[in-house]
Amino acid sequence: MERENRFWRVVLLFLPLSVFAVFVVWPLFSSFWYSFTDWNGFDPNYAFVGLDNYARIWTDRLFFGAIINTALWMAAAILLPTLLGLALALLLDRQLRGARIFKTIFYLPICLSAIVVGQIWTWIYQPDWGLLNAIISFVAGEPFTHAWLARPGSALWSVIVAWSWQQTGLSMVIYLAGLTAIPSDLLEVCDIEGASPWQRIRRVVVPLLIPSTIVVIALSVINSLKGFDILYIMTGGGPFHSSDTLAMHMYNESFKKYLMGYGSAISVVLFLIALVIIGFYFRQLKRIDEIYG
Amino acid sequence: MARVTLENIRKSFGNVEVIRDVSLDIDRGEFMVFVGPSGCGKSTMLRLISGLEDVTGGTIRIGGRDVTGVAPSRRRLAMVFQSYALFPHLDVAGNIGFGLSLARTPAGEIERRVRDVAERLGIADLLTRMPRQLSGGERQRVAIGRAIIRDPEVFLFDEPLSNLDAALRVRMRLEIARLHKALDGVTMIYVTHDQTEAMTLADRIAVINQGRIEQVGSPMELYHHPANTFVAGFIGAPAMNFLDGNVDDTGAVTFAGTTIMPAQPVSHRGSATIGVRPESLRLASTGEADFVARLDHIEPLGAETLLHFDTPLTVRLNEEVPASEGDTLGLVVDRTRIHVFPP
Amino acid sequence: MRSMADRRKLHLTPWTAALIAILVMLAVLFLMPTIGVLLSSIKTTRDIALGDLWSIPGQLFLGNYAEVLSNPAVHRYFVNTLIVTVPATTASIGLGVLAGYVFAKLPFRGAGILFLAIVAGMFFPPQVILVPLFRLFNGIGLIDTLWPIFLVHTALGIPICTLLMRNFFATVPNALREAAILEGASEWQVLTRVAIPLGLPALAVLATLQFTWIWNDFLWPLIFTQSDEKRTIMIGIVNLKGQYTVAWGVQGALSLIASLPTLVIFLFFQRYFIKGMTMGAVKG
Repeated sequence: MERENRFWRVVLLFLPLSVFAVFVVWPLFSSFWYSFTDWNGFDPNYAFVGLDNYARIWTDRLFFGAIINTALWMAAAILLPTLLGLALALLLDRQLRGARIFKTIFYLPICLSAIVVGQIWTWIYQPDWGLLNAIISFVAGEPFTHAWLARPGSALWSVIVAWSWQQTGLSMVIYLAGLTAIPSDLLEVCDIEGASPWQRIRRVVVPLLIPSTIVVIALSVINSLKGFDILYIMTGGGPFHSSDTLAMHMYNESFKKYLMGYGSAISVVLFLIALVIIGFYFRQLKRIDEIYG
Repeated sequence: MARVTLENIRKSFGNVEVIRDVSLDIDRGEFMVFVGPSGCGKSTMLRLISGLEDVTGGTIRIGGRDVTGVAPSRRRLAMVFQSYALFPHLDVAGNIGFGLSLARTPAGEIERRVRDVAERLGIADLLTRMPRQLSGGERQRVAIGRAIIRDPEVFLFDEPLSNLDAALRVRMRLEIARLHKALDGVTMIYVTHDQTEAMTLADRIAVINQGRIEQVGSPMELYHHPANTFVAGFIGAPAMNFLDGNVDDTGAVTFAGTTIMPAQPVSHRGSATIGVRPESLRLASTGEADFVARLDHIEPLGAETLLHFDTPLTVRLNEEVPASEGDTLGLVVDRTRIHVFPP
Repeated sequence: MRSMADRRKLHLTPWTAALIAILVMLAVLFLMPTIGVLLSSIKTTRDIALGDLWSIPGQLFLGNYAEVLSNPAVHRYFVNTLIVTVPATTASIGLGVLAGYVFAKLPFRGAGILFLAIVAGMFFPPQVILVPLFRLFNGIGLIDTLWPIFLVHTALGIPICTLLMRNFFATVPNALREAAILEGASEWQVLTRVAIPLGLPALAVLATLQFTWIWNDFLWPLIFTQSDEKRTIMIGIVNLKGQYTVAWGVQGALSLIASLPTLVIFLFFQRYFIKGMTMGAVKG
């Protein structure tokens, strides 16, 4: 039996593993290699330049701008959809006629592409007739024409709002799944012990949702690290690189300036950041698993 | 202090009526067990008393006070759940003191009372452990601790032993009996599907079937005088034998091809179901057999032996038997232990 | 007789009314952007230019949709996207089934680490493998074809598909496999005759997820294609932005049409969609 098992393991795993190795694992490692070269994307002759690309990072003003923007972007992308998703889930987790419709409404944006979401919000932020300015003008009683996406001060934040609009549904659904997983007798203990609604949420429900929270936060971090499409279409990293993130910066250096070696170095930094976060995530998952089973 | 009274309780989920007009008086300090097959409504009854479910009709009184619409936390009761329902994010002390901390009791007092309860239950050295690190029996004690610290007048148990293995179940059963003695005057209501638990723990048992109480009485009352075949079949293990039979005008009972005059007079006349417990039958010596039956199968249990006959009939003996499967044996019925159930 | 019917039943109280009011407000806020596009797509460019984008139109104007649907470029984008999305969805799920089955039913020493390594692939930003893949496909002359997009999506789908299929196959009792083997079935027959038929719900989950992600993708076609003939629909939206600079209504119609396949899948298979999102997430 063991001989057959070994045979089938090899047969069944061969294709998936080779595809994964060729198109994911190998490129991952060659990124490291290219980050030590000056390849320009076309020239078959390129040189090994050692740590030059990494040295260059230290003098790249745009890189540090991108790091700060990535941090801001990630912090907001974690906080807004997580808190809003939690609130929505708590509101919707009850027998309510039409709860399904509400869930669908909040969840709908997740099936739209980042490009379409970006497009929609570009119109909302349009200075002359966009919805946002129209509302502000109406409330203020005087014309308001702030160019949200064209001003360095507001561009990144405007994209973050659009992003949160799309991502909130995802955290809401994960929290809703987490809520149904709470054993009903734990909530009944609250009834018997006389917990107020607020105590019940604060002392029991939210702590029991910690596993879901870890998942939501990890997904937000990872999705926001990947976040590129929506920035590309809404601001392209501008104006004046005020909404550049690492992913955006990497794209610009590699495919606009054809500095693929330098772009690779940036992607290696991106990879290391992701690695730290994933490591942290798996550690937390294990710890949580020990407590919550 | 706290006598629990149910008056014409009804409960429906949608169109399904799960409790149909139940009335019951449970005395202060009494240990009442609800027993019945799964789905009979016994757990629902407990949840109605606790207030976790609202009654569809009827009145519930605790200590004379009408608590029908009162919130669970204001009924002065505590409940131990089948799953123990311990909070995984709180340690043992946190779980036991949960209710006190909700009520904003000063930390020092919580600690003192938690320690006090933990010592009584022998879990004082576990106070900083998380529920996941506890064994089934320890979790059970923590759940009981969380219940006692509330100083309740009524204690509700929902199948508290069914998640434990057989040996531990016997031990915890004894502890619950001791707890009942120690908590003087506290009324306990205990739900189980296990008739052994019911018999060993209860002052009185209520046998529940299809949302109705079939019979209420002390364990031995139910054993000796079951009101109907359901109770007779549910109480006692192995279950009572039921045979088709007849009662003639003189009160003699005919079944299994024999006619016997029971020691107690029978009022019913005509066809009936005759019940004989396996322990009310014995093997006959020569010439005294009431009837004969063919032995199908022998189950030696050590202290006792179960004989299964093709009648069909089960006999329980306290000694080993020299007979072998396929033998035809004579049986004698204990005249004082014949049950007659009208159809 | 455990019923949760009463667990969180709502009775109409001021608190409930407030709750519903809050929900309705939030729902309107969330729907507004989508409704805005819908409105703009049924208005003439003149109406929009006159600052009338957000009002309910007096009459339905379908000219924008006619414009989009008669544009041969849009047809091409659609066909290209389908050519990539359907095979890549199928292939990634197929590979995930194979790998997931081995990890669930034929475990071996080191399987845990290997599985973790594959699943970790889900979490990395794609930018990390951008440059080497560009060089690879450039070297073998596949740039500006649909092949690289298909191949990369197939490979990048392996982590999530393997994860979900392994988790699903783990719930299929081992006894079923053993019974089939005792009946003389080969491992391949167990997989195709027992495991896959049982796994149809999981396959449906994956199909909805993968289709949506690949259809909506922007980065890979942006990198691997250059000529308009090979562009996919999401790139098409961006390209046509130039052509329809002030024709917001046409752009709106195009966005909606481009989202239609994923919207339909989402609305009809929402249950599977949500399940996939939470399953992949919770057991990650």
